[in-house]
Amino acid sequence: MTVQQDQERPIHPLVSKYLRLERMPHLACPGCGIGQVVHTTLLACDELGLTPGNTVWVQGVGCSSRITYTLWKGDNIDAHHGRIFAVATGMKLWRPDLNFICFTGDGDCASIGGNHFLHACRRNLDVTALMFNNAIYGMTGGQVAPTSPVGARTMTTPFGNIEDPMDTVAVAIAAGASYAARWRATDFKQLKNSIKKGIQTKGFSFIEILVQCPTQFGRYVLNTGDPTKIIEWYKKNTVTLKKAEKMSPEKRKDKMLIGEFVHRTDRTGVVERYWDLINKIQSEGA
Amino acid sequence: MSKAVKTGKYFVQGDEAIAEGAIAAGCRYYAGYPITPASEISECVAKRMPEVGGVVIQMEDEIASIHSVGGAAVAGAKAMTVSAGPGISLKLEGLGWGIKNEIPYVVVDVQRAGPSNGVATRVGQGDLYTVKYGSAGGNNSIIALSPWSTQEAFDLVIECFNLAEIFRTPVFLLTDETIGHTRELLVIPEERELHIVERVKPTVPPEEFHMYPFDTPNVINYPFPNIGEGYGICVSPYTHTSRGYATTSEKDQDRMATRLVKKITDNLQVLTRVHEEMMEDAEIAIVAYGGDSRPALEAARRAREAGIKMGFLRPIILWPFPDEAIFKVASKVTKILVVELNRDGQLAREVARASKGQAEVYHLGSGGVEPHLPDVVYGEIKKLVEQSPT
Amino acid sequence: MSKEQQAREDTTTMRIRINKEFCKGCGFCVEFCPKNVYELSDELNTKGYQVPDAARPDDCSDCGLCELYCPEFAIVLESSA
Repeated sequence: MTVQQDQERPIHPLVSKYLRLERMPHLACPGCGIGQVVHTTLLACDELGLTPGNTVWVQGVGCSSRITYTLWKGDNIDAHHGRIFAVATGMKLWRPDLNFICFTGDGDCASIGGNHFLHACRRNLDVTALMFNNAIYGMTGGQVAPTSPVGARTMTTPFGNIEDPMDTVAVAIAAGASYAARWRATDFKQLKNSIKKGIQTKGFSFIEILVQCPTQFGRYVLNTGDPTKIIEWYKKNTVTLKKAEKMSPEKRKDKMLIGEFVHRTDRTGVVERYWDLINKIQSEGA
Repeated sequence: MSKAVKTGKYFVQGDEAIAEGAIAAGCRYYAGYPITPASEISECVAKRMPEVGGVVIQMEDEIASIHSVGGAAVAGAKAMTVSAGPGISLKLEGLGWGIKNEIPYVVVDVQRAGPSNGVATRVGQGDLYTVKYGSAGGNNSIIALSPWSTQEAFDLVIECFNLAEIFRTPVFLLTDETIGHTRELLVIPEERELHIVERVKPTVPPEEFHMYPFDTPNVINYPFPNIGEGYGICVSPYTHTSRGYATTSEKDQDRMATRLVKKITDNLQVLTRVHEEMMEDAEIAIVAYGGDSRPALEAARRAREAGIKMGFLRPIILWPFPDEAIFKVASKVTKILVVELNRDGQLAREVARASKGQAEVYHLGSGGVEPHLPDVVYGEIKKLVEQSPT
Repeated sequence: MSKEQQAREDTTTMRIRINKEFCKGCGFCVEFCPKNVYELSDELNTKGYQVPDAARPDDCSDCGLCELYCPEFAIVLESSA
């Protein structure tokens, strides 16, 4: 390959190392934040030394999953809508030695998948969940999501959303997750460190990522198809935990909190406990 | 004695026999949710699975159970879940994932009176079509076996696991509350007497391997690599290419649909199992399966004693339906009485279809709760005989 | 290619490389580069997206933000390669 040719189609080293070149460019719309999160995830995997041989990418249904499915060089296990954590439970219990990174969305995780999400947290299932929150159902054309803001005009709320959005980080913590964080897709360094921490934490690691959706959320809710405007909107409507502590309740009211919310290393999970129990029963029976 | 195969004689319910059969077959991942009349299977497995070092878990609902079973199978385990009618309805979407991605596992349906929740503690036979056609989209590869005794429940669940591996498909043990809750003799043989089929692994490197063999749609005993084995497997609920990549092309969709159907229809010689009695000179036949087949056989024997040339056929494999065996019987006799515990006539419809007009097909149905009484069935047989000279 | 563009290519060969076929013209590199290195060019790739150019590569401070902002892995910086 000449320098000229190489310069025309340079392949990013993370793509060479971790992704299937024949699946690039991936399916995301121009400006969608999911590609950024994939990049950040690969940085985290690289720094931790994860390989396609020891790490499985798990998906659900929606943009989160369709875009990430078959990108990874290793195993890609795409579950039915909302069932990602149920499938992951079976896989992790059988192969606790493998790492599982679960890519889910606000609809996949918090709507149809709500029950499995709750119990994955309760069981402290040792996987890392990245929930892409674009506050809309992107893949199906822009319907309201359980994380859409009040007043949002979407394809199924043409007069404005009347329901309050769910705080999925709060739900994860209440249900027992060992690690919970929320970042924006553009919080590259913080998100990378969170993903690394999540992978290294034994137990359910839940990382909610606010991603810009220019095609549906942008156009229908914010009246703009310009992804940079959505990034600006996220910057304006989020505040770090640290800053929020110093703000008045009035000023903090409508802001989304970002940061690391909980990091517990004291709690074991179902996988560890199950195999400990089995070893105990088997050695007693021997 | 092996921990997995508890050789010996027992007096147990069908449910317990199913649990023992699964363990003996090599089932080492089990996920269930409490539902009458199948809960006893979960309770038995909960005690036995830890003894053999497998995984048993009560998931948060029926849906989670089947999806976790799919996940465990993809991860390398022989896996099983159980339920009854309403739970099977919930599991149908998850079943589709197993069918489409050619994942081997076993689902036990302990049928009960329906529709909907029906009578939880009592027998019904309303799920024949559900297990085969209930999962959305058609083009499926379901196999279903049905036992008529505690012994056969043990034997057939092992067969289910074997067929699941051979055909790389979910397989149903379609039983019912009568079999599930009746206590009778179970003989568990020596471990070496059991025939267990193990998972086939690829012999070619990953770049040459196609996860889904669309080029050879009727191939069986096809390899099933699992996660963490270096094959970079791609599994998805969406239609995919032979490598597992998402596709919307008409050609790929048709290749996939053809594979899933032909896998079964081109291998019927391996998938026909019926139980016939008194058929050699039969002029009328009775067809029934599962718990309702025992009063049917009793009624057939009484008919023989009364001089009626009665034959008895019990399908053991329900799906694929034993068309050839039914047609043979229909060509020999003039009337077939189909006995089942539903008013829809599900089994009757299949028998009528397979008979291709060679015999008149009659239906003796009921809502369920109790199996038919032999007297009632015999009464129906007499009515048919009296209808016209036989 | 014009002489100006050629001159730019020569200086960018080893620092900022752009895979124009991966680019979807989102404009993040143009918008978020703190040193205003990028500009949307007149060039369309084969998919019809308007791709950027590293117009002022000498102003680049090697912060690496463009590579991270790009959702398509289309920007490859020398420090990563």
